[in-house]
Formats: sequence, structure tokens, C-alpha cells
Amino acid sequence: MTTKRVLLLIGVVSAVLLIVGFVVGAVGSRMFGLERPFVSQPGIHLPPDPVFPAAIRESVVGYRVAEKKTEDQGEAKSDDGTADGKDDAKEEHHGLGLMQFAVTNTMLSAWLTSIIMLVFFIGGARNPKVIPNRLQALVEMLFELVLNFASSILGPEMGRRAFPVVATIFFFVLFNAWLAIFLIPIYQAVGYGANVGGEFKLATHLVRPAGTDLNFPLALALVSFVFVEYWGFRAHGFGYLKKFFAFGDLLRGRPSGLINIFVGILELVSELVRIVSFTFRLFGNMTAGEILVVMITFLVPFIATQFVFGLELLVGLIQSVIFAGLTLVFLSVAVSHEEH
Amino acid sequence: MTELGLNVPALISYLINYVVLLILLGALAYRPLLNALDSRVDSIRESLAAADRAREEAATSRSAIEEELNEARREGQRLVEQAREAAERFREDEMERARQSAEEFSERARADIARERDAAVNEVRAAFGDLAISAAERIIRRSVDRQAHQELIDQVLAEGEQALRRN
Repeated sequence: MTTKRVLLLIGVVSAVLLIVGFVVGAVGSRMFGLERPFVSQPGIHLPPDPVFPAAIRESVVGYRVAEKKTEDQGEAKSDDGTADGKDDAKEEHHGLGLMQFAVTNTMLSAWLTSIIMLVFFIGGARNPKVIPNRLQALVEMLFELVLNFASSILGPEMGRRAFPVVATIFFFVLFNAWLAIFLIPIYQAVGYGANVGGEFKLATHLVRPAGTDLNFPLALALVSFVFVEYWGFRAHGFGYLKKFFAFGDLLRGRPSGLINIFVGILELVSELVRIVSFTFRLFGNMTAGEILVVMITFLVPFIATQFVFGLELLVGLIQSVIFAGLTLVFLSVAVSHEEH
Repeated sequence: MTELGLNVPALISYLINYVVLLILLGALAYRPLLNALDSRVDSIRESLAAADRAREEAATSRSAIEEELNEARREGQRLVEQAREAAERFREDEMERARQSAEEFSERARADIARERDAAVNEVRAAFGDLAISAAERIIRRSVDRQAHQELIDQVLAEGEQALRRN
């Protein structure tokens, strides 16, 4: 009986929150003529925001405040239609330069993830017992999942060798994605504020999921690439390069060698394009998820975002499996002895 | 590319972050735990093998015990058989002996009876002879020669004996 009542209560509260959320959200507030939506319109910035040193942060925050002001003014004068798109595009970017160093909010997120991963895994693996405690059992289960995954693609011996690199990629991506959902109040609400148009607003977040920083997936893609090529060379020696520079047949005077050269070039390009595809797959998915969360919160705050969180949990898992799985598949292709 | 946030120091920082994570997790989490998993697999395999061995040993010892039991049963049956044979033999011997002694006894008895009868017949014959002689002497009261007498007596005796036999 009590369980039923609790469920009913939760259902009623959710429904009420949904309706209230809809009313005070961006759509409802316009429909019902409210002054402004409960959650202010989010600004989407692809580059991560610098947090330290403070000077760089201040300059970005200052720029963003100015940007906001011009936006508001632009909105006010929207009838004029004189907004110059080119200028906007030029000014839109005011992040870090290519070589400029600052600790960004995505980096902080990655560090936080790393610390949590270290505590979790080392805590589970310290003094392993034959009869494990709960944490050890959980960590063992996770390790065995990845190990079995790797072994199923590469075979038991090679799977064991590839395990550390692949497992670290898998858990790093997964924990990064999930941490942003489990610690949603910290990720969405903690940051540095600024005075925008006489109103104190959150200008930069302290932490932001590392997956939304292009450099994070790029770093992992480079790790994956280097790892795969290393094992390719280790398995075939310098003969591994024959796959990409297939001049052998042509030098032996066979005209079909031309096709092999072309295929080799294709192989080389596809090998290099993997870095890009790895990078943008993860970056795109994580960024899109983050934007979706922010936009749903803006449109229908409170309860509607729960569904997006569920979706994001799934996306985080899928992306980490894809990243680890593709690394394993490329590795198995690189070490396999092809027969011509 | 900087519009997307590409930043070389950040990239390097993530690479370092990954490598540090890999080294720390590799040394402090992956290796110890995978070794523990391996040793657990080994110990499970060993204990399964030990259980198999124990089961086999139990099976062999059970068959050995059964063999011994069968042996003992066979031995017991043999003993019982022997005892029965011995008893049979003993019974037959005893019966044989009893029959023999009975036969001996009856033989002896028959011999005794025959002897007694012969003695009785002789006695009767002697007495009858004397009686007949005296009776004859008394009747005829005359002396006849001894030879005639004896022939007469023998004739009477023979007749008497034939009469006795007929009886």
C-alpha cells in the first residue's frame, strides 16, 4: 500500500513539475505572456572556457558579457535588420589561441574524473581477496567485461596485452560522460558569475564534461592511433609499411601493381582519417548531449530533463563502447597476417 | 580550428592525463586485480581437480571395499559349503557305522541263535536218544546185539530229525 502511495505521490509531483516546467519554460512563458522564462537562454560555446589563470578567465567572461549586451541590443533593434553577419562571425570566437595555455573547465572535469577513477579502481583492486568484497566484485566485473570484450576480438593473449590501454580509454570516456550526469548540480550550476545588464548571471562553468572539449577525444584518438600502429609494427616489422606503400608488384614489373599502390594510398588515408572520425564522433555526441540537456532545461525545466539524462547515460555508454571497440577492431586488423 | 576549441597545450594535458591514468591504473588496479583473477581461476581449477581426484579415490576405494565384501561373502559361502559337506560326510559315516554295527549285532544274534538252536537240537537229540533207548529197552526187555540197536536208533533219530525239520 505504502509503496503504491509513494509511487502515486511521485507521479503527481512529476506531473505537476512537468506542467509548471512547461508554463515557466521558454515556450510556456511566451505563450502565457510571462516576463521571461525561468531559465535564461543558454549560450552555446564550443571551445571550453578557461578557469585559471584568472586573467584569461576574466577576459573571456568580460567578452561574453559584452557579447550578451550586444545580443540584447541587437534583439531590441532587430527591426532594423542591420546586424552584420560577417562581423558577428569574426567576433564570435574569443577563446584560447592555438598555443595559449590555460586550465579549462573541461580539464578540471577530466582531472576530477581521473581522481574518481583512481579512487574507485585502486580501492577495488587494493589487496585483492579470493572472496571479494562488494567494491572488488564490482571492479572485477567491470574489468572482466572489458577483458572479455577485448579477448573476443583479439583472442585471449592479445586481448590481455591490449587490455590496459583499451580499458583506460573505455573507462575514461564512460566516467567522463556519466560524471557530468551524476554530478549535474555541480556541472550545471557551479561557476563564475558576472554582471550582465544589471543582473548577476553564471558566465562560465567551473567544470564541463571533457567529452565536449575537442582536445579530449583528439588525445584519445591519438593514443588509439599510436597504439594500433605500434602493434602493427611490432607484429609485422617494417613490412607493416608495405600495406600503405605497395610498390612491390610494380617493381617486379607487374602492371597490376598500380592498383596496389592506389589501394595502399586508400589504406593510408583511411588510417589517418580514423583520428578525425574518432575525434568528431565522440566530440559530436558529447557536445550534442550537453546542448540537448541545456536546451531542454531552457524549454521545459525541472522534470523533462530526466529523460534526456537517461538518454545521455546510454549515449555515454555507447560512445565508450564504440571508442574501445573500434580501437580493438583496428588493432586486430593491424596485427592480423593478411594473405595476398 | 580554434573555433572548435583546438588547443595544443590542452591536447598535451589530456595526453599526459591519459598516460598518468594508464600508468597508475596499470600498476595499482589492472595488474593486481587481473593477477588475483588468474590466481582465483587457478585455485578453482585446482580445487575442481582435487574434487575429481577425491571422487575417483572414493570410487576406487568403494569398489575395493565391495570387492573385499564379495570376497568375504564367497569365503563364507565356501566355509558353509565345506561345513555342510563335512556334516554330510559325518552323517553318512555315522549311518554307515550304525548300519555296520547293527548288522554285526544281528549277525552275532543270528549266530548265537543258530548256536543255541544247534545246542538245543543236540541236547534234544541226546536226550531223545537216551530216552528212546531206555524206552526201547524197557519195552522189549530183551538184549539184542549192540549193532542192531544202534542201527535202529539211528533210523529213529533220522525220522525224528526229519520230523523236527518239517516243524
